[in-house]
Amino acid sequence: MGNYVEELVTNKLNEIKSRNNEYEVGHIISVREYILEVSGLEGAAFHERVVVSGHSDGYVIAIRRSSVVVALVQRRGSIYVGDEVIATGKEFCLAYDDQAIGHVVNMNGEDVLTGKMLEHTEEMRIENPTTPIMDRTSVNRPLETGLSGIDLIYPIGRGQRQLIIGDKKTGKTQIALDAILNQKGKDVLCIYIAIGKTKKNVKEVYSELNRKGAMKYTLILTALNDDLPPVLSLTPYAGLAIAEKYMLQGRDVLVVIDDLSRHADCYREISLLTGKVPGRDAYPPDIFYTHSRLLEKGCQHKCGGSITILPIVETRGGDITDYISTNIISITDGQIVLSKKSFDRGEKPAINYGLSVSRLGGAVQTGPMKKLGARVRRELLSYLETREVYELANVDEMGKELQDRLKQGAKLLKGLGQYKYSPLSQEEIIQKFEDIYGEKA
Amino acid sequence: MNQSENAVHTEAVGKIIAVSDLNVTVLSTGESVKNREILCADLNGTQQLFEVSDVNAKLVSCIPLNSVVGLKKGLDVYKYSDSLDISYNENILGRVFSSYGEPIDNLPPVEGEKRSVYARNLSMSEIDISGEPLWTGIKVLDFFAPMQKGYKMGLLGGAGVGKTVLIKELIHNVYTSASSNSVFVGVGERSREGKELYDEMLEADLLGKMGIVFGQMGENSVARNKAAFSGLTLAEYLRDEKKQDVLLFIDNIYRYVQATSEINAELNRMPIENGYPATIETDVSAVEERINSTQDGSITSFQAIYIPADDITDEAVQVIQGHLDGQIVLDRKVAEKGIYPAINVFQTTSGMIDVEKIGEKHYYLVNEVIRYMSRYEELEEIIAVLGIEELSQQDAEIFYRSRKLRNYFTQPMFVAENFTGIPGEFVRIEDVLIDVENILSGVYDDVDETAFSFIGSYHNRKA
Repeated sequence: MGNYVEELVTNKLNEIKSRNNEYEVGHIISVREYILEVSGLEGAAFHERVVVSGHSDGYVIAIRRSSVVVALVQRRGSIYVGDEVIATGKEFCLAYDDQAIGHVVNMNGEDVLTGKMLEHTEEMRIENPTTPIMDRTSVNRPLETGLSGIDLIYPIGRGQRQLIIGDKKTGKTQIALDAILNQKGKDVLCIYIAIGKTKKNVKEVYSELNRKGAMKYTLILTALNDDLPPVLSLTPYAGLAIAEKYMLQGRDVLVVIDDLSRHADCYREISLLTGKVPGRDAYPPDIFYTHSRLLEKGCQHKCGGSITILPIVETRGGDITDYISTNIISITDGQIVLSKKSFDRGEKPAINYGLSVSRLGGAVQTGPMKKLGARVRRELLSYLETREVYELANVDEMGKELQDRLKQGAKLLKGLGQYKYSPLSQEEIIQKFEDIYGEKA
Repeated sequence: MNQSENAVHTEAVGKIIAVSDLNVTVLSTGESVKNREILCADLNGTQQLFEVSDVNAKLVSCIPLNSVVGLKKGLDVYKYSDSLDISYNENILGRVFSSYGEPIDNLPPVEGEKRSVYARNLSMSEIDISGEPLWTGIKVLDFFAPMQKGYKMGLLGGAGVGKTVLIKELIHNVYTSASSNSVFVGVGERSREGKELYDEMLEADLLGKMGIVFGQMGENSVARNKAAFSGLTLAEYLRDEKKQDVLLFIDNIYRYVQATSEINAELNRMPIENGYPATIETDVSAVEERINSTQDGSITSFQAIYIPADDITDEAVQVIQGHLDGQIVLDRKVAEKGIYPAINVFQTTSGMIDVEKIGEKHYYLVNEVIRYMSRYEELEEIIAVLGIEELSQQDAEIFYRSRKLRNYFTQPMFVAENFTGIPGEFVRIEDVLIDVENILSGVYDDVDETAFSFIGSYHNRKA
């Protein structure tokens, strides 16, 4: 301990001697919402943390020929043109503490429920380079969600990125929460990243998970609506950086990002404010890369750990072919599409089985689940398509074979229905469908 | 800190004066710097590379090859090399390279001659356009869009309709049966799939005939942009110097254009609609015109093309389409019905659909099937209103036979066996023609339509 203090003092003294603790100061020349232009700061590095007006925090997002551009991440008072901006010589990082698990925190290391700062925080880089291709291995261990419509038909594996997409009020978040709840006792760490959710929403999620005993292994990382947009845009990266830390320790991590449509809008807002060229739907041309490098952090690492990501995207009018949705579909390893129509018909979870996809499919299922899953999926899809064609046909005049097929299909669809927070184990799912078929799988 | 001693550079050519995500501006000391030259700067002991993209008197705009986090104003910049290059010799086969030509498979570097990734374009006299048919064993492809050696075949599809599975099936069928060497270029696609491809090739003992370049979607825009060039350089080496017939798989060429627009925006150049660069035609030609066959060897390419927002009229898609000899269009509406490969038969075609090339019978059958299918689409609408009983005898025949045809054009794929649980099948075109003829002429009218789903050949079926 003595050594430690001595070292600290010597280091500080050396710093002072070598004038390392002198920080450069610049002055604000323009303020546009939360984007500041600062003159001076000639020696600032890209992504360096700066202190603004003595009370607020920001970081460098661009270095121009005669000024630097700073994005504010925390505003704790008024900011005027001419105020001082002090460079810190440090990269802008997130603050995190292992003790945060079980709590609702933000990327600055604050416990949002109590308003206190976490105690032993460490600084972590917000974005690490993507995991090299050769360090990845194949995704083949199941991540059980407890929902038969997913585990059986469109299964999710550890290290998979599976999109949950649908209109408002179709149960998107619920599927993610069900998945988190079902990890109880399975040694999976869960991180729920809330971006631009209302405080009420986040508190509800917390209390539901807490009530079901799922907070013990869950971290809620949140960027609230009244946080500044740069925070909203960085928080998912921060969440994935935390997940990467645990993955490299060999742990399985499940990350839910709720939601990426809001994130895209935030990113667009910042881009347009900083004068970037707009592309399709006024999103900046690098919106794909913004999401692709985020979701590429999901993987099965060769060290044994994995990051599974369930990003959520909100659609309008059931249209999954808009720009952001298709971008993310083209990144993820599959999508669970929720439809308002099924929801209103009372089919819950309201999965549209025709549009949903898992690109890994049977590779992440084992034994009887795999065999049964392939059969149920094939028969269900053929039923849904046939049902549409014969919607107006007279059932009594149909051939026996066709009638049976329609009846069987209806039974399968009914069998996939499930209430919230009522997970089924793999054995229970198999049992249920063996009963429907009346035979062993 | 001292200037690192092993630095290759001699004298600084300028200093950094501005930095943004994908753009580093250098004020040069007057030393002449040319486009596509590689410059470098030292940042805490690691070398940061930039490629020159614009020179405006003393202001040099560069695109950084890696992350710019930590870069500062005032850093000295040195010359590094004349252009991006890649070392090559016969050992490139079985190896994996990054977009910048560096091996990333933890094996020793390839020693050999270096070649700039922006090699010359071919002159018209060098280009060879003859070629024999190339059968893929995928029913719907061989039937609607037959392939020829030296062709450029595009696989177009929106997100999640099965482009990559189809590319992998093609690799499986064409590459494993042909004895040719091949190059796979992963541009802006999933790293997981890239690694899986590598593992599968390794496992099947096929890696030795394939050179791989990856610039996947987690990499920055510049990496995704350059991957195409590095991959092409490897294919050209095999064609020009080893005089081989090469198979080139690019998944996904749209991502190349996408990465170009990202760079374009950062360079503050004026975009055209949807944020694409104004130079889009030039950029696509720079890649596509290099993919050609000569008297020495051929390059046959399969290129996946992503359709953003399911909009096939998208500028980038249209520009790429202009370079293709044939196209396979995948459709979400078909995929929704569980029909895989989810091909839109009305838009899928190739230059081979010509009486003189494929013969009268094949040509006639293609026309007939398309006629049936287009009537079927109309009938579906009629049925939605009136019900199936209201159809005339003739229409009912078309309706039921078309459904059988539609089911028949599904196929169990080798690479999807894990997903479907059905082993894949390679189907000969002769068998396809017999089956289609039989369905159309009513031979199978009393067979249930489900019997045609996910099978190989019907008349040749295993009992």
